[in-house]
Amino acid sequence: MGAFKLGKMTFKSLFGKPETLLYPVQTKTPPSGLKGHVTNHVTSCILCGICAKRCPCAAIEVDKQTRTWSINRFRCVQCGTCVRECPKQCLTMEPTYTSPATKKYLDTFEVPETPKAAANASEDAKA
Amino acid sequence: MALETTFVPIELEGILPLSAEKKAQGWRFVQIMAVNTEAGIDLIYSFMKDGLLENYEVKGLQRDAVVPSITGDFLEAFVFENETHDLFGVTIEGIAIDFGGSFYALAQKEPMTVISPAQKAARDKAKKVAAAKAAKEAGTGGEAAGEKAELDAKLADMDPEKAAKVRAALEAKMKKEAAAKQAATDEKIANLDPEKAAKVKAAMEAKAAREKAKAAEAAAQKEGE
Amino acid sequence: MGKATVIPFGPQHPVLPEPLHLDLVVEDEKVIEAVPQIGFIHRGLEKLVETRDYNQFIYVAERICGICAFGHSMGYAETVEKLMGVEIPERAEYLRVIWHELSRIHSHVLWMGLAADAFGYESLFMHCWRLRERVLDIFEKTTGGRVIFSVVKVGGVVRDIDDAMFAEIKRVLEGIKDDYKQLCGAFLNDSSVKNRTVGVGYISPEDAFGLSMVGPFARASNVNNDVRCLGNGGYGKLSDFQPVLDTQGDCYARVKVRALEVLQSIDIIEEMIAKIPAGDIAVDVKGSPAAGAEAANLVEQPRGECYYYARGNGSKYLERMRMRTPTSQNLAGMATALAGCDLADVNMIVLTIDPCISCTER
Repeated sequence: MGAFKLGKMTFKSLFGKPETLLYPVQTKTPPSGLKGHVTNHVTSCILCGICAKRCPCAAIEVDKQTRTWSINRFRCVQCGTCVRECPKQCLTMEPTYTSPATKKYLDTFEVPETPKAAANASEDAKA
Repeated sequence: MALETTFVPIELEGILPLSAEKKAQGWRFVQIMAVNTEAGIDLIYSFMKDGLLENYEVKGLQRDAVVPSITGDFLEAFVFENETHDLFGVTIEGIAIDFGGSFYALAQKEPMTVISPAQKAARDKAKKVAAAKAAKEAGTGGEAAGEKAELDAKLADMDPEKAAKVRAALEAKMKKEAAAKQAATDEKIANLDPEKAAKVKAAMEAKAAREKAKAAEAAAQKEGE
Repeated sequence: MGKATVIPFGPQHPVLPEPLHLDLVVEDEKVIEAVPQIGFIHRGLEKLVETRDYNQFIYVAERICGICAFGHSMGYAETVEKLMGVEIPERAEYLRVIWHELSRIHSHVLWMGLAADAFGYESLFMHCWRLRERVLDIFEKTTGGRVIFSVVKVGGVVRDIDDAMFAEIKRVLEGIKDDYKQLCGAFLNDSSVKNRTVGVGYISPEDAFGLSMVGPFARASNVNNDVRCLGNGGYGKLSDFQPVLDTQGDCYARVKVRALEVLQSIDIIEEMIAKIPAGDIAVDVKGSPAAGAEAANLVEQPRGECYYYARGNGSKYLERMRMRTPTSQNLAGMATALAGCDLADVNMIVLTIDPCISCTER
């Protein structure tokens, strides 16, 4: 029984350095494994659409005709399923958060035609 | 001591004696839940004692059935009974603290009994799989039908676009087989009539080439997926 | 004796983090009867199981509750594994226990801060949350998330923790332990805390058992229904597990049980880190649950025992998924504890149950 049991801790925090950061001036360096946002390294993407199929919240759209891969960051829940399921390992989870916005938008990545993909496309056209 | 679970079917009339018996024997009430099935609503009552979790199932409850409340023995069941009434529309009589259908603020009455398109598709698929199994077990007579049903079940799992493509490919394959058969018979006829032979042969070849091209296209499309 | 008056308490109230409504029948300053009502935030998450396949639903299960997020994903995965007869690698079981106990520490310390805030001890509240922040930092480094982790999958876990990280976790936990013991000193011996908690909201062991209460609420009344004792998953590998029990059954006992459980969780994590075997962290799960197959499972969450039930229908989608959370089991006990208390103690009693209404309604 007694009062002021927190004395030691209180004095320590009176004279110690603060636990918090002066946010806009100082920022915390994000740990490497942080789930920030998904990006696509388009050079190895084959537009297979597995990411779009496995996504639990239908945030990813893959369009083979226009060769675009787009993600709705406002639907994405950063679960990392697409990153794990990608057969070409072209999706990665970057440890930085995207900035807030006043309007919802799609982040679209143009996927360039690789020689192999081009060959496939011409084969398709022939058949 | 490990967790053991059992599932025991009981009748609707057996609920009250069961809860009285469990209370007397010092069991702990765990939960009540409902499952909306095609045959009606299943109720599951769970009790626990010493690492044994017993689930008693009342199957296929119809809409007009009246379920007695077990709040007389286990007061804490009032949460679950009100919930079951609000979400599944099960009539439960004599709840100790009865909210009369206003326990949950819902936009829609009995939301858990609505069958969503996704659930319907899943159920249809399950039925087809069951039908395929039954057909297979029925013997050789039903084999073709069984295969067809199995295929349907498999296709139900894919997205419609892809399923259509697979179907087209299979049809092309079947056509090709039929064409080959036809070609064999035609050849026999051609052998009988040497004059006609060249003409028929040319026609046959053209047809076969066409079929081949079609099959190749289907295969290419499939690969493209 | 005065006239009976009904005072509505909640759904918006300074002590309540979540919408719970109580009709308090009051005579003078004494509460005669309390009728709890929930139902303001039903989200229909159980219905979502029809549109998300069994691998995707894990992310829905996590979002049932922000504090027991890991517990729910683990409970769901264990139930589906049971349904499909999947054996997960031992290392995954250990990792699950480590994360689960970390989230128990984070949940209990958060709760202690809220309790301190409820009886007006603001600086104690801030010290509690300052400690909790270090646990959240561990989560951030090991899972990549602070609240929702998404590290469990059906068949194991998706991230491994390496030895360097284990050493850091141990170091951080040692640091927490020192500070935490000082906090415990304040919670368990400070007169300003004791004045508000001792003898308030008493529940007898008979009532606690008769009302099937779960979690620290029941353990404070000497009813042991800690499912960790049954040794599900990685808990079976613990050399010795003794639940924290108390006989007093009042608010002080509930604070004490939670305070001691944090130290117990730290011990469990240290034991698990010392014993963790090398190996795979996940197995591939193929196929879908059979039609009509059923599985039920229990998991001890920070707030108490949680019941999971799954039924398959032969497709990748489950027919039914059910989560029964600890708070729905404790509502009747809470009403019993409230009957006969002072009006000023209502907030303290409601908080010591640690109600999680969004869990309860899903």
